[in-house]
Amino acid sequence: MDPIIEIEEKAAAFIKQQGGVVTVRFSPRHGCCGGTSRIAIAETSTPKETSTFECHQMEETTLWIAPELTYQGLRLRVEGWWKLQRLFVDGAPLRAGH
Amino acid sequence: MSHQEKAAPSSADMGLFERYLSLWVAAAIVAGIALGQWAPAIPEALSRFEYAQVSIPIAVLIWAMIFPMMAQIDFSAIAGVRRQPKGLAITTTVNWLIKPFTMFALAWLFFMVIFKPWIPDALASQYLAGAILLGAAPCTAMVFVWSYLTRGDAAYTLVQVALNDLIMLFAFAPIVVFLLGISNIQVPWDTVLLSVVLYIVIPLAAGYLTRKTLIAKRGADWYDNVFMKRIGPVTPMGLIITLVLLFAFQGDVILNNPLHIVLIAIPLILQTFLIFFIAYGWAKAWRVPHNIAAPGAMIGASNFFELAVAAAIALFGLQSGAALATVVGVLVEVPLMLALVRIANNTRQHFPTHA
Repeated sequence: MDPIIEIEEKAAAFIKQQGGVVTVRFSPRHGCCGGTSRIAIAETSTPKETSTFECHQMEETTLWIAPELTYQGLRLRVEGWWKLQRLFVDGAPLRAGH
Repeated sequence: MSHQEKAAPSSADMGLFERYLSLWVAAAIVAGIALGQWAPAIPEALSRFEYAQVSIPIAVLIWAMIFPMMAQIDFSAIAGVRRQPKGLAITTTVNWLIKPFTMFALAWLFFMVIFKPWIPDALASQYLAGAILLGAAPCTAMVFVWSYLTRGDAAYTLVQVALNDLIMLFAFAPIVVFLLGISNIQVPWDTVLLSVVLYIVIPLAAGYLTRKTLIAKRGADWYDNVFMKRIGPVTPMGLIITLVLLFAFQGDVILNNPLHIVLIAIPLILQTFLIFFIAYGWAKAWRVPHNIAAPGAMIGASNFFELAVAAAIALFGLQSGAALATVVGVLVEVPLMLALVRIANNTRQHFPTHA
């Protein structure tokens, strides 16, 4: 069975450096001619409204994750360099936004 | 069943508005013509609110169309620029070194040569100008929907949109001025720069600052799911209202030359397919995975219509043939792109699944 979400070593180190909390959720993108799709994104912060998330403790990381994104074979990775480093969710296709 | 094995999304997954966009655009054309014929005082009154030759109501509508798209651009995604270098090399080359020039070549061939017996020279130049504006502005928002419908890689789609928007900031004006120049359509540099500042730089800066400020104040989740949810639908509404107003001024042109809409559509349709197949075929030759190849080909096939319409109005006026040509692009957008989605989904097996 897939893990809730796989966190790569570099991503885990990045999350730890940023405070040890990560939120994985959908972010909507609106089309110019109408329509919305949702992208899975990751942020090193606690969600303001926690009730719609599952919370898991993964080693030294507190993971807040949208239930639809659990056990999907997704991986949290880090990209960029120096101040431009950021987390991204690898393996997630876009979803319908409505 | 994992997400990779699920059935491909289809156009049925799109909302009613975007699925039938062509119908709403056609309705806006009819409503606009009716307004211009039966209540000409309304558009005439609106056209009087001008400052430095910029129509204030039109500028407000254009900002309403463009700002929500700019407010959702996540420029931090640029950090991922090294992750899919082949995909980004293809899409950047096609969007900026091929697409504007094939659009110009096709539009010139059809409007100035093949359709010469049916389109007067002055109007043909205007249609060519509109096509040039369309060719210089790749899609910036709708590509997320096309990417979703082809099961594109979400993170890659974010990166390519952020990269293209940054390039657009610097490349749109020089490409437009160069191609209009070789078409013998003179537009002053300062007018082009003014439209770039008004309709790219200001909405982009406003969108970036709004995003930064509101996320810092209210959190990213609130920004995405409350703020963007409220302002996102403003774009298509602004588009339709602008079209009604535009066609209130265009009524005589359309009523006198109804065939022109079909004639304008022909090179635009050919260009959409050509650009898609160049990028998609190149991606196949380079063995780029399908979830990168499909969104990489879709972004150039589709256009940033709002910018093209805005620039056409700013440079040539609401009543111009250039503005009409950009609108025909909107009219054919969704059916064409859905056809490309179908082609991409039916050819998935010819591409590798992973890099």
